[in-house]
Amino acid sequence: MISILSTTPISPVSPVTNVVPLSLVLLVSLIKEAFEDWKRFQNDIAINSTPVDVLQGENWETVSWRKLQVGDIIRVKQDEFFPADLLFLASTNPDGVCYIETANLDGETNLKIRKALERTWDYVFPEKASEFKGEIQCEQPNNSLYTFTGNLIVENQTLPLSPNQILLRGCSLRNTVHIVGAVIFTGHETKVMMNSMSVPSKRSTLERKLDKLILTLFGGLFFMCLIGAIGSGVFINRKYYYLGLFEDVEQQFNPSNRFVVSILTMFTLITLYSTIIPISLYVSIEMIKFIQCAQFINKDLRMYHAETNTPALARTSNLNEELGQVEYIFSDKTGTLTRNLMEFFKCSIGGVSYGVGITEIERGQAQREGRALNEIQKSDTVVYEKGFNFDDDRIMRGAWRNERDPEIFKEFFRCLALCHTVLPEGDESPEKIVYQAASPDEAALVTAAKHFGFFFYRRTPTTVQLRESHVEKMGNIQDVSYEILNVLEFNSTRKRQSVVCRYPNGRLVLYCKGADNVIYERLAGTNQDIKRLTREHLEQFGSSGLRTLCLAYRDLTIDTYENWNEKFVQAKSSLRDREKKLDEVAEMIEKDLILIGSTAIEDKLQEGVPDCIDTLSRAGIKIWVLTGDKMETAINIAYACNLINNDMKQLIITSETDAIREAEEKGDPVEISRVIRDSVSHDLKRCLEEAQQDLHIFGQKLALVIDGKCLMYALDPSFRVDLLKLSLNCSSVVCCRVSPLQKAQVTSLVKKGARRITLSIGDGANDVSMIQAAHVGVGISGLEGMQAVMASDFAIAQFRFLKDLLLVHGRWSYIRLCKVITYFFYKNLTFTLTQFWFTFHTGFSGQRFYDDWFQSLYNVIFTALPVIILGLFDKDVSASLAKKYPQLYKEGIRNTYFKWAVVGVWAFFAFYQSLIFYYFTTTASENGHNSSGKIFGLWDVSTMAFTCVVITVNLRLLMACNSITRWHHLSISGSILAWFVFIFIYSGVMTPNDRQENVYFTIYVLMSTFYFYLTLLLVPIVALFGDFLYLGLQRWFFPYNYQIVQEIHRDEVDSISRTEFLEIGNHLTPDEARSYAIAQLPREKSKHTGFAFDSPGYESFFASQAGVYVPQKAWDVARRASVRSSKRTSQR
Amino acid sequence: MSPQADPAPEGDAGVVERRKKSKKPKYSRFTQQELPACKPLLTPTIVISTFSLIGILFIPIGLTSLSASDIVVEIVYRYDTECIPQQSQNDKLAFIQSSETNKICSTTLTVPKNMKAPVYIYYELDNFYQNHRRYVKSRNDKQLRSKAYEQETTNCAPEATTANGSPIVPCGLIAWSLFNDTYSFAIQNKVIEVNKKNIAWQSDKNNKFGSDVYPKNFQQGGLIGGAKLNESIPLSEQEDLIVWMRTAALPQFRKLYGRIETDLAANEQISVTIENNYNTYSFEGEKKLVLSTTSWIGGKNDFLGVAYLAVGSLCLFLALAFIVLYLLKPRTLGDPSYLSWNKNPDGHQ
Repeated sequence: MISILSTTPISPVSPVTNVVPLSLVLLVSLIKEAFEDWKRFQNDIAINSTPVDVLQGENWETVSWRKLQVGDIIRVKQDEFFPADLLFLASTNPDGVCYIETANLDGETNLKIRKALERTWDYVFPEKASEFKGEIQCEQPNNSLYTFTGNLIVENQTLPLSPNQILLRGCSLRNTVHIVGAVIFTGHETKVMMNSMSVPSKRSTLERKLDKLILTLFGGLFFMCLIGAIGSGVFINRKYYYLGLFEDVEQQFNPSNRFVVSILTMFTLITLYSTIIPISLYVSIEMIKFIQCAQFINKDLRMYHAETNTPALARTSNLNEELGQVEYIFSDKTGTLTRNLMEFFKCSIGGVSYGVGITEIERGQAQREGRALNEIQKSDTVVYEKGFNFDDDRIMRGAWRNERDPEIFKEFFRCLALCHTVLPEGDESPEKIVYQAASPDEAALVTAAKHFGFFFYRRTPTTVQLRESHVEKMGNIQDVSYEILNVLEFNSTRKRQSVVCRYPNGRLVLYCKGADNVIYERLAGTNQDIKRLTREHLEQFGSSGLRTLCLAYRDLTIDTYENWNEKFVQAKSSLRDREKKLDEVAEMIEKDLILIGSTAIEDKLQEGVPDCIDTLSRAGIKIWVLTGDKMETAINIAYACNLINNDMKQLIITSETDAIREAEEKGDPVEISRVIRDSVSHDLKRCLEEAQQDLHIFGQKLALVIDGKCLMYALDPSFRVDLLKLSLNCSSVVCCRVSPLQKAQVTSLVKKGARRITLSIGDGANDVSMIQAAHVGVGISGLEGMQAVMASDFAIAQFRFLKDLLLVHGRWSYIRLCKVITYFFYKNLTFTLTQFWFTFHTGFSGQRFYDDWFQSLYNVIFTALPVIILGLFDKDVSASLAKKYPQLYKEGIRNTYFKWAVVGVWAFFAFYQSLIFYYFTTTASENGHNSSGKIFGLWDVSTMAFTCVVITVNLRLLMACNSITRWHHLSISGSILAWFVFIFIYSGVMTPNDRQENVYFTIYVLMSTFYFYLTLLLVPIVALFGDFLYLGLQRWFFPYNYQIVQEIHRDEVDSISRTEFLEIGNHLTPDEARSYAIAQLPREKSKHTGFAFDSPGYESFFASQAGVYVPQKAWDVARRASVRSSKRTSQR
Repeated sequence: MSPQADPAPEGDAGVVERRKKSKKPKYSRFTQQELPACKPLLTPTIVISTFSLIGILFIPIGLTSLSASDIVVEIVYRYDTECIPQQSQNDKLAFIQSSETNKICSTTLTVPKNMKAPVYIYYELDNFYQNHRRYVKSRNDKQLRSKAYEQETTNCAPEATTANGSPIVPCGLIAWSLFNDTYSFAIQNKVIEVNKKNIAWQSDKNNKFGSDVYPKNFQQGGLIGGAKLNESIPLSEQEDLIVWMRTAALPQFRKLYGRIETDLAANEQISVTIENNYNTYSFEGEKKLVLSTTSWIGGKNDFLGVAYLAVGSLCLFLALAFIVLYLLKPRTLGDPSYLSWNKNPDGHQ
């Protein structure tokens, strides 16, 4: 607009003044946009050209994903992703079953089963499939992942379709050689894509604040113009005859119409002062951010993950500085904090703890307490396999026979090997066998048994066959077949699982594993020692972040068993309340148990997670875990990651209470919701009260644990405020069993309710909504599954890289951009104010002080580069110090560097400096200036003033720098030099073009006088004097934290060499260890025992919420699978 | 550890393809942000020494400038009121605008100190907005420069053309309002030569005002703004015009009128004859006659010297103050107890 104004005659400047910088700015931002689009385009191409097999005639032909059309029949092989939403027709598995992993969609780790309609089972092979003709009627594309309604019409037969036959894009195929499916929805119509809302374009908070600053500047501009306009209306007068204000003068100077004069002058002044609005600011910021992303974040070796060959990736360059102000992190669990890898880690057998491994959390604790852990070097023979990370010479390789009570070891191992629902697959040798378990925990336990010498290799519908070593004597191997009589399955109320089995010698044993509290209730009264010791171990394991299970057995007499079995069979065949009756029956036999010991499984955390979380929380960042997992698992992980420890008070709001369960059993939805609502409201109130009390009276740290069902009600507008208040008081929050939508809701609750900056990190499709809802979304890259990454703003390979991303890159970006913005503000204000002061001396006519070209090149050449260099290279403390003193990050959270006070200080000095520039140069120029007695004109003075401005403004930048590289020197001296070169040429030549030769020769005239040199020395120094004094006093009396840190480490040379670089460890310095120790408070006795167990195939929580799709029971899964495997074995 | 934990998705051919080449970023000091840098810390020592340094540097410069300015002898005489006869004091405007009145006035100035030649003669105007936007742009540099552009009168309105449309050379308000008071000096009735050559900057004379451009139609209109020009002298020789056309920055300005090339002794009486033609009365502007010698620093100008002295002494004072402060309440560098989280474990909001 200003450019247009400048082409009108009322403008004081020629159009070129405004058009040149504007077009430069536009050009640069165009190039940048084009570049980013190009990259996005290439990414899309990569995904769209993934190949897939499509049925063409009677053959499979490979085409790329993008060519898929609705109605195509395609084949998906094991471990591949489904390219579209498919109707499941047939699978290589018998009875039309396939297993899919939905971790990408909902984060659940157990495999799901899909079953094709019987009618279509045959279409596995192309010859058959090509015969398939049918019609699918289905719902419109929608975003509900757990519902599907439709019909398949084959040969005039209408078959209803359920979610059970639908394979969603984003899932992958497991344990199935290949499946055949028909494409229902493709591309944007797939349910996953419908779920990912159109990516909201995110702008950083800083930029939004910047907008406010710009508005303020506009206000200032208007105010200045108003003053000028009023002045001009008052000033204009015919008495100044030399202005030629005759009768027919143009409106702008017509003294007989002062009002019009004012209005027109207003416009004149707007164009004149338009330099106050830093148009090149936005483009500079974009350039800086772009380079920060492309060169610094993407190429940071500290964030390069060698194992997956994944560097960090900044997918948008808008949010760099937002990373420096994050206060809340919402993290997904599986795949983000944990590796989704369960490892048998420790055990306690007969009251003795075995296992030499040390968990990350133990390591951290030890470091905090300052004691050294004598990490035992693992023996060379150590076996390592997925799911097994255990070594103890006392029991490995049959050594357990030499322990005090070898019998109990046998029970322990047999319990592990027998009491489960795992299916062996593949070759029946210990090396090649693959255990298919619905939960990785179970697989880990069975694998452990294998390594202990009790190799489970075959399951038939009634027996489990083990290959036992060292039982009779060392080195002896024998195959034993145990008959499994009953299986009392796991569910979340029972929290235990038992099998009754018959030894070949007729011994009847019940093996039971389950949560410690459940098992302890059912133990026989004997052997208190073992109980006590085991409990101690459980607590130890629990506080080390391990998932524990108690193992127990009971010998049964034939009579007892027969009696009980009758009741069991009855219960099993009853039609009403079967579940409840089965539970009751189970209760009757699961008693008088004898404790064997306990297992401890490590839910393997991603590398460096506890340390990273600890560092981040010291940086003032609060971390919330939002997971679809069960409460126990979630709490366990929270322990393992140091989010919750035993010093904290846990506030738990759960729907797993008796009242709610009772209501649910009645099954009246209205009643259920009322009961839950009441209980949530009550719990919230109670917790809030406790929180207030504990926090303010005892200063205790709080942790809130809430589950999805309660969250659904707590997010209700009436409770939302309470929830927010409560959760903001807690140092960590764990939300379990939450749906993707709830994740997003919680995120926006904090984002909007608390107005804090939030970051979400996740790896799966279930995190997409959360990633998009937060200010900053971070995706975990490098694993399969791209949805989270595609929705994210930044992608990193490991959770621990957050430390670098936030504390180093985020913090630097924030500080740099704050400096860039405030500096831009300052330099434009200073420049414009000199112009403003001049207006007072020109009869408010709007005469420009500077030449057009000075003005237009001021922002784009003479002061452009150094500030970009500042935005790229300024470094207050080095990367390692930033991580060593995470507290420095708090300055970003508090927005210390871009408060109005900071802007005010800059504005004040801009004001001061502009006065110096204007008055010093003009006052000093009144008389003749060299012995020739000749006098300067307007343009000489303005060239002088401009020279001073350029030099001062560039030097001021140097004062704002914390580290000065040769680029700084280069750009600053370059800018000043550019000005001189420019003025030498510009004022040295005459052009034939129509140009006012105002500044012709001015610089040479100036340089022939001492005045020039004296002023050039005086003015910049006086102008910077104020800033210097302020900075000195500020550091002296009110130092920022970073300044202290700089001083502490002032003598250290920041020489991270390449070698050092590669082994950046998490080693603590003695200083840090001490500060840990200071933070250490007297600890309560540990109470957490760490039970957590993924029940095999617990109902998909969301599905049951939707009330449509009830998946099969886990046991059915195992049973069918076992049938299958037995079939296969028999075939052999 | 984790490779076996996450089996590579073989199906994702693109990924496999890309995995073959390492995506490990190359090390460079630039991308790792480890460029060698000096890290200036504004420590008390640096603050104190900077202030002292500025003080030590500036005070001598200030003193030198002041002494240079002190050598300059300056006589300022305001004549706009005094050159109006008593009877016209109430209506100065009528007096100055009338072509009948006798505008010659005389006065005597006393030389306060020896004034070594050359003595520069300036006129000083006040409340004259030579920097008014309408005024500044009311000229045409092309026309001034070359005869070829004689017709070029853009921007010159309302003094662009005569009533019949032929261009005015030089056109525009600046030229039109050329100052036309004249001064002549005599000591004891002996006329002192006033050298009016070489009073404009050489660059203006040589390049901005053409030697082939002669005044034309100048001051022919109804209203006479100021001086007339001799139409037989090219613009490049009309130095009064050239001086006048280098517009001043501020509404109060001096312009060089000429030089006296004889020494003036102290207490000599100079009789000045002023032809008071120029109208500053309509806008209540002052008119002054200034006689001044120069030194290397130029004319009488205490400002720079005083500024240097003031800043220099302020810096010295501050340096002292900081030293005292430093002794009384030392600020240890890098004391961890200054860290906010050490001061107040909860952090301050």
